[in-house]
Amino acid sequence: MLSLSLDILTTAAILFTVATGLLIVFGVMKIVNFAHGAFITLGAYAGLVASQLGLSPWFGLPLAFIAGAACGALVERFVVRPLYGRPLDAILATWGLGIIIGELLTLGFGREVQFVGSPLSGTIDVLGEAYSVYRLFLVLAALIVGGGFAWLLGATRLGLATRAVIMNEDLARGLGINAGWVRFITFSLGSGLAGLAGALITPLSSVDPNMGVPWLLNAFMLVMVSGASLGALLAASLVLGGAQVIISSMFSPILGGLTIVVLAALLLRIRPKGFAR
Amino acid sequence: MTRIALAAVLCVAAIIASAFLFDTYTVNILTRSFLFAAVALTVDLLWGYTGFLTFGQSAFFGVGAYAAALCFNEFGASPEIVALSLACAIGAAGLLAAVQGWLSFYHGSTPLYASVVSLVVPVVVTQLLFSGGTFTGSSSGLTGYDVPDLAIESWFMLAGMFLVAVTTAGFIFVRSDAGRVLVALRDNEARCAYLGLRTAGLRIVLLVVTAGVAAVAGWIYAGSSGVVAPELAGFVFGTELVIWVALGGRGTLLGPVFGTLLIDLTSSYLSGSLPFLWKLLLGVAFIVVIVALPQGLIPAMTARLRLLRPRRATIPVLAATPARTAPSADHVAIALQDVARSFGTLSVLQGITFSARPGELVSLVGPNGAGKTTLMRCLSDGSERSAGTVAINGHDIAKLPPHRCVGFGLGRKFQTANVFDTLSVAECLAVARARRSFPSPLRSAGSLALPDAALAILRATGLDRALGTQASLLSHGQKQALELAMVLALEPSVVLLDEPTAGLTLQERRHIGGVLTELATTHGLCLLLVEHDLDFVREISSRVVVLHQGRLVLDGTVAEVVSSELVRTIYAGASHA
Repeated sequence: MLSLSLDILTTAAILFTVATGLLIVFGVMKIVNFAHGAFITLGAYAGLVASQLGLSPWFGLPLAFIAGAACGALVERFVVRPLYGRPLDAILATWGLGIIIGELLTLGFGREVQFVGSPLSGTIDVLGEAYSVYRLFLVLAALIVGGGFAWLLGATRLGLATRAVIMNEDLARGLGINAGWVRFITFSLGSGLAGLAGALITPLSSVDPNMGVPWLLNAFMLVMVSGASLGALLAASLVLGGAQVIISSMFSPILGGLTIVVLAALLLRIRPKGFAR
Repeated sequence: MTRIALAAVLCVAAIIASAFLFDTYTVNILTRSFLFAAVALTVDLLWGYTGFLTFGQSAFFGVGAYAAALCFNEFGASPEIVALSLACAIGAAGLLAAVQGWLSFYHGSTPLYASVVSLVVPVVVTQLLFSGGTFTGSSSGLTGYDVPDLAIESWFMLAGMFLVAVTTAGFIFVRSDAGRVLVALRDNEARCAYLGLRTAGLRIVLLVVTAGVAAVAGWIYAGSSGVVAPELAGFVFGTELVIWVALGGRGTLLGPVFGTLLIDLTSSYLSGSLPFLWKLLLGVAFIVVIVALPQGLIPAMTARLRLLRPRRATIPVLAATPARTAPSADHVAIALQDVARSFGTLSVLQGITFSARPGELVSLVGPNGAGKTTLMRCLSDGSERSAGTVAINGHDIAKLPPHRCVGFGLGRKFQTANVFDTLSVAECLAVARARRSFPSPLRSAGSLALPDAALAILRATGLDRALGTQASLLSHGQKQALELAMVLALEPSVVLLDEPTAGLTLQERRHIGGVLTELATTHGLCLLLVEHDLDFVREISSRVVVLHQGRLVLDGTVAEVVSSELVRTIYAGASHA
């Protein structure tokens, strides 16, 4: 029971970390970034490069963030900006970008599955239950990411401008806010977060050029049920992630893998706002 | 029509000839490409024509392929099993499509949500195939099952003829009057619903039909290749289909077909020598096309030749529908009882009670924010009001969606001109008639019968001489008039008009004012009009209802309202009273 609860908590933390970048891009820019999965993969490979260079595994995390953010900045400038106002086309173009990044990674690193060491190994005793230290660390990481975002949005000038753009972009523009700049920063930050999430999840799984796709689908569905709210995303990650863990352990991992997408689609049909108030 | 038939015959002849010209490898690859092209065509119908971006057509292809493979694997390939498996393929795909359609399309659904569901469907189907154990062959799929005993060339010809048949049918369909309704759905779904069309139903039917086509393609694939794998139903294949359609040119039918053939054929030849580079190039080309050439590569290349675009139908001749007898004035056309609308704690309308009879022209006046447009919404969409009852011609609208309200005899003209931008004037009017007589999916009619009232509006504004003009090119006033004519083409008995003369010249206003009074007096229609121009109201109204801050404050004759101290206070402000 305790181990199940810990699994639910850590799974929710991972889902939250993976989806935050997508959420912020969707909230500000009203477009769905289908290259998010590819940025996750990119971050994972950044972690791999760090470990291949013999650096500390911790060093992979900032490297992954920088790689994702730099790539996102380029993408925003040359692909996403011209498609502003054509949201369905933006989905397609970012999906195409995902293909390109995946193929470039394949050309550079090969198709095979590779492994990255964990910066924290072993287990820790939680109320008499031995549990992976790294999975617990991911809860902390999710809290840092979520808290950082909440601070950025709530307590900085950029956050104020961003919230203004989320609520009413035309009005914000009229008040002298540089909406283009806000979008650029948002997309770079969201992509950087995807990279960071990629580096964070790799010690739990393996690295291959298509690893981002299943994560993209889950993150996408979570964002759809959360609107543009971090709080709703947290709730959605806990509820749907929890359902995933329970169904995986009680029925089959394959059904568990479908839980989030199916439940989210049904939820949206019944309550279009999802978890958002 | 004869030209299409001729082209189809030529294509079939070319396919039969090439079966003997090409080597076995090419024949095999082309068989697959033909089938993929047929599925790409269904993506184009859904995305290019009705605006529904779908990643899920691969699921139906996969369902069709697995239906064949499973039947052949379990029971062999006797003629009865061939027929049975084909029926299973179409039936299963149709059922799945109906479920997907029910999830995706309902009153108030968004295009993004429909795309989301289209992503979920292939993911679910592949996972189910993965978890099927030895029955579905799990991740390695099924192979080595019995197939109908046909030569490679015969499968090739079958696939080719299937593609030609599907393309021909698609071509005839999009050029028909029913095909214009699809474009109307893409351009303005809300207007379609208020023209009495069951938009969700139409979309679901189209999805089921295209799913059937994709399933047959999958069935032929399973028979001709002898191998099926879960990837056939996957969402990666679903997105590949979208890429081929985008590169070939959405909304052109032939573009996606040739795009798919070219790309799939090239892929098979290049993937051996340059596997990753080829996919990389394809990805780059895709992005360039989406960003810079949204109409697609093939249309961009052939734009001058104008070969590919399905040509516009000829302009129909206008005719009058037989006159209807005026409805008797002894029943109540609109009845509102305690109608209220609130958003959270904000109350926009409360306690609105009034009724109107046939032959009345009631003007709804009041300052901005009085709730006039909200009241119009509550009258035409059952899900809008928070409390109270609304009856149209004695039918309680309960929580019914707009198209059902239209069925009770309601017509609604929106505040801002609301027409189908890419359709011509005549086509817009034809879509407005679609509820009365659903247009043919085979041909486009040579004449367009409209009620007298709609014809009068067209003549008053000169639109009868601009029937072939695309609606987006009309002036603001002409669009307003076109929408009014579309509403009147429904032959409604109750008409809601939200500022019908905004943006019209004085001349046009007089004409339309005349037509409106005539509609009420001689045709016995009940008109409810929101209007800011009080002179216009005074000229044409038989009764005036005044709204102020969400309440009905006065309901009387023109003379009573004009002389009312209360109305003067509301409009001029309390301090001047």
